[in-house]
Amino acid sequence: MKKRTWLSMLLVLVLMFSLLAGCGSPAEEPAETGEPSEEPAEPSEEDVVITVAAGAVGQELELTQMAAQMYMDDNPGVVVEVLDTPDLAQDRLGLYLQFFEAQSSEVDVYQIDVIWPGDLEEHFVDLYEYGAEAVVGEHFPAIVENNTVDGRLVAIPWFTDAGLLYYRTDLLEKYDLDPPETWEELAQQAQVIQQGERDEGNQDFVGFVWQGDAYEGLTCNALEWIASNEGGTIISPEGIITINNENAVEMIDMAATWVGTISPEGVTGMAEEDARAIWQGGNAAFMRNWPYAYSLGQEDDSAVKDRFDVSPLPAGANGEPAATLGGWQLAVSRYSENPEIAADVALFMASYDMQKMRAVDGSLNPTIMDLYEDDDVLEAAPFFGSLYDVFTNAVARPSTASAPNYNAVSTAFFRAVHDVLNGNLDAATAFEELELDLQDITGFDIE
Amino acid sequence: MKKHRKSNFAKREERTAYKLLVPALIILLLIAIYPLGQVFYTSFTDRQFASGQETEFVGFDNYRRLLSVTVQQLEPLVDEETNQIVIDDETGNTVYERPIDVLPRDPIRYREYRQFSLMGNQYVLGATDVDFIDAIKNTVVFTVTSVFLELVLGLGVALVVNSNFKGKGATRTAMLIPWAVITVVSARMWEWMLAPNRTGMFNMLLDRFGLTDGSIAFLASSSFQLPAMIAVDVWKTTPFMALLLLAGLQTIPDELYEAAAIDGAGPVKQFFSITFPLLKPAMAVALIFRTLDALRVFDVFQVLLGQSEYSMATYNYFQLIGNRNMGLASAIGVIIFIIIFGFAIIYIKSLGVEMDETS
Amino acid sequence: MKPHKTFRQRLLKLGFYFVLMIIFVYLLFPFYWAINSSLKTEAQLQMTPATMVPRNPATGELAPTLQNYRVVFDNQQFVRGVMNSTIIAFSTTALALVAGSFAAFALGKLRFRGKKPTLYLILAMTMFPQVTVLAGLYAVIRALSLPALISLILSYMIFTLPFTTWVLTSFFRGLPMALLESAQVDGATPFQTFYKIMLPLTAPAMVTTGLLAFIAAWNEYLFALTFTSIEPSARTVPVAIAYFTGAVARQEPFGEIMAAAVLVTVPIVLLVLFFQRRIVAGLTAGAVKG
Repeated sequence: MKKRTWLSMLLVLVLMFSLLAGCGSPAEEPAETGEPSEEPAEPSEEDVVITVAAGAVGQELELTQMAAQMYMDDNPGVVVEVLDTPDLAQDRLGLYLQFFEAQSSEVDVYQIDVIWPGDLEEHFVDLYEYGAEAVVGEHFPAIVENNTVDGRLVAIPWFTDAGLLYYRTDLLEKYDLDPPETWEELAQQAQVIQQGERDEGNQDFVGFVWQGDAYEGLTCNALEWIASNEGGTIISPEGIITINNENAVEMIDMAATWVGTISPEGVTGMAEEDARAIWQGGNAAFMRNWPYAYSLGQEDDSAVKDRFDVSPLPAGANGEPAATLGGWQLAVSRYSENPEIAADVALFMASYDMQKMRAVDGSLNPTIMDLYEDDDVLEAAPFFGSLYDVFTNAVARPSTASAPNYNAVSTAFFRAVHDVLNGNLDAATAFEELELDLQDITGFDIE
Repeated sequence: MKKHRKSNFAKREERTAYKLLVPALIILLLIAIYPLGQVFYTSFTDRQFASGQETEFVGFDNYRRLLSVTVQQLEPLVDEETNQIVIDDETGNTVYERPIDVLPRDPIRYREYRQFSLMGNQYVLGATDVDFIDAIKNTVVFTVTSVFLELVLGLGVALVVNSNFKGKGATRTAMLIPWAVITVVSARMWEWMLAPNRTGMFNMLLDRFGLTDGSIAFLASSSFQLPAMIAVDVWKTTPFMALLLLAGLQTIPDELYEAAAIDGAGPVKQFFSITFPLLKPAMAVALIFRTLDALRVFDVFQVLLGQSEYSMATYNYFQLIGNRNMGLASAIGVIIFIIIFGFAIIYIKSLGVEMDETS
Repeated sequence: MKPHKTFRQRLLKLGFYFVLMIIFVYLLFPFYWAINSSLKTEAQLQMTPATMVPRNPATGELAPTLQNYRVVFDNQQFVRGVMNSTIIAFSTTALALVAGSFAAFALGKLRFRGKKPTLYLILAMTMFPQVTVLAGLYAVIRALSLPALISLILSYMIFTLPFTTWVLTSFFRGLPMALLESAQVDGATPFQTFYKIMLPLTAPAMVTTGLLAFIAAWNEYLFALTFTSIEPSARTVPVAIAYFTGAVARQEPFGEIMAAAVLVTVPIVLLVLFFQRRIVAGLTAGAVKG
């Protein structure tokens, strides 16, 4: 008897849950991504709904929602909804690809990584057809060039990023050193400081941390080393494979000597957050990282608060400093039902005023050059001034030149570099193989 | 007369069986048949994921690209002037040709996978897709080791929990915790614990016990990578194994043990003459599903090793999402499918569990 | 002889508890570390060496913080995710158990042609890696235009239904044939035999299988991420956690992730505690063993 009550209970449960699940239809609740006060009113029949897929990060998302609200205030009849997407670039790309594969019209505007315009170009409209001509000159030319595929402006720059050298001002002073200008100097200084700090009892102290795990971040780091030594950018903008050259080999071999000396063994497993954890715990003299680590390092409970500064990355023996270009763009889907309005929304969000708001309130680096001289921006984020030079000299990854195979190119590259860093190969052998791999992938000529 | 009645009954039984199977089959066909069929079909094409490009039928090209291997002999290098075999000054070993010069490049290029010597000759094993061959090796080693350890530990845990002792309930609940922690999160948790300095739990403990200086790069150095993956997986899925085995243990009647005890059989003999044979069916099912999951291992490799070492499934993910090479990715899926099928049949045959017998 | 034996017994007992302790530590210490991490601020997480309990970086005093938990509870998406996950996991389990036990009874106890192919066919459904079938599945779900919750429940059948079917089949097969035959002699239809006699006997197996299936559905990430992408209100717990972000892009809120992990493990533990009583009760009540 008892068994049967139990069974019928189970059946009831099934029914209940399937009913519940059935009722929980999608339209029941609007996207619950922000503060309720900013929640757009339920769109009526005639309203045009534009969905913007953007970053989910707290303040960043709020700023995007604020911009959406401003657009709606100016344009009655248009409802701009912000769809938050995963912060992890790979997850975000996976999601977008599912939308594109299904040719979904559900998302109109996409926030895309600086390395995606080439690969995803076929899914986006040409923004020049929607009036981007007028504003494109305000943005950093390197980014605009990166976002231009066969003369089409695939995406409008939104905010940017580039590699920086973080250094401990207190330690440089203590050991009487100036910020390093070449990689060689950096290695020497890191060695001196690391030895000194360890002798004083901090056994966890390391000289230099960076991103050495086998992932896109290593491509960024290694590209900076190579480009700063006149070693090219793996594949030239004209589509020639240039990686197997002496300057590149020299730099990668040099970086391999850092592993286990001025950088911990584990650096070949580190991404941005791993490096920052060591740095912000006060256990590193130098760090290569993106600008985001600046404001976090200045927080009250940070061990390096007011004890560090940033500068452009060092240069190789044969070249000038280089920083890999990062950052995000806005692109309009070809499958959108209202591309014209969607393009207008995208251009609005990437406009001077909106970028200024994002710079002042969210420390997001603008792509519009004049904003680096804007008093309000500089007051809110004084270190932006020193970033201007870094951004103007930033090196783009060869994503547009190698499209649609950039991911395969980058993967082959960072895995080859990773092999060298781990001491399995020397750089000359690795790059000899790599250039053949790249030829297989892209079909390009070798220099 | 009797025969007739029996066949009537058998017919009714058969009809009931089909009726009972209907819900499960409908659900599976509805949801799975198209995706699975598509994977098989796509694996014979050069389809690009999320692309308007024309798709062509390419036959077995994807499989050939993934699985082709070759062995080539490496000749010793001969100095052109002296006509003598070149010897490395430092190591005193003979210098051989470089694999990159020997391995074929047309129509597909082979890359060096391993070098080995046999009967005084030096050979190179080349593969068209070194990464995938490596992924298969990693995954199979991972699967065999972790499933074996899980079986041993899981059986131990199940036997312990099945015996009567104080704190049985608590143990049973505690043992399930690792399985209950969300997989993606548990991978992140282990990544943090395995950090290459003393912010990580393991390095901190090793240092505290004075075993190392607390800077082992568990996830970056190749000798620790697979063992670390196995440790995480064993931790996470031993409970799964244990719970299934426990359920199997509980269906073994106590009377059997009592009878055996009266016959004077010790615990070891009881285990091998009663527990093990009667546990075989549960064990076979547990093994099949654990192996199936282990061969498809994704989260742990993806989060902890990224692209420095692949499992078959992370390589699949990288080909599909990263390179958008849907044809190739589907072929990888089919290969994984076949390997899993092979394992399942081995288990069923070797454990002697007959799947079509009724009693 | 006797004192020797008690000594041996004592030693055995000691050994038994020692093994038990090691198992406990192995299974629980990582979870303790998650709790420990969830009570730390970012600065405390970055301390070297890591501390066994949250301590103040400067003074070394005990300084746990509940900040991470507060943030997690304030996260609407997370709270909603728990609800969604509960609905999805329960429905998935129930559906997989009902359909699975039907099929398993047929496969384990009834005689019919095509049994072996059916078993392998069902298993074959779950042999592909998730990412391989994702695109095809997404196409099916779009074609059926189902709401995200339903589509998740259905797609989770791919891995739960073959599991429940196979496990239950092996349990049904273990039940004595005599029961079935005596029921048939009494004039019961095969379905009645299944419902009235077999099902209650396998209740413990059902609970075990159900728990494992429940947790598998609760933990699934890739399908959930994709199918709820356009419908944020249907996000499940793992997806909601993946959406946790720091104050700025790239920052990983590790403490909050750990807090959420601890929080969602608790209800599952409670669930186990509850059903464990069932397992035991089912066993003692189901006295028809052997």
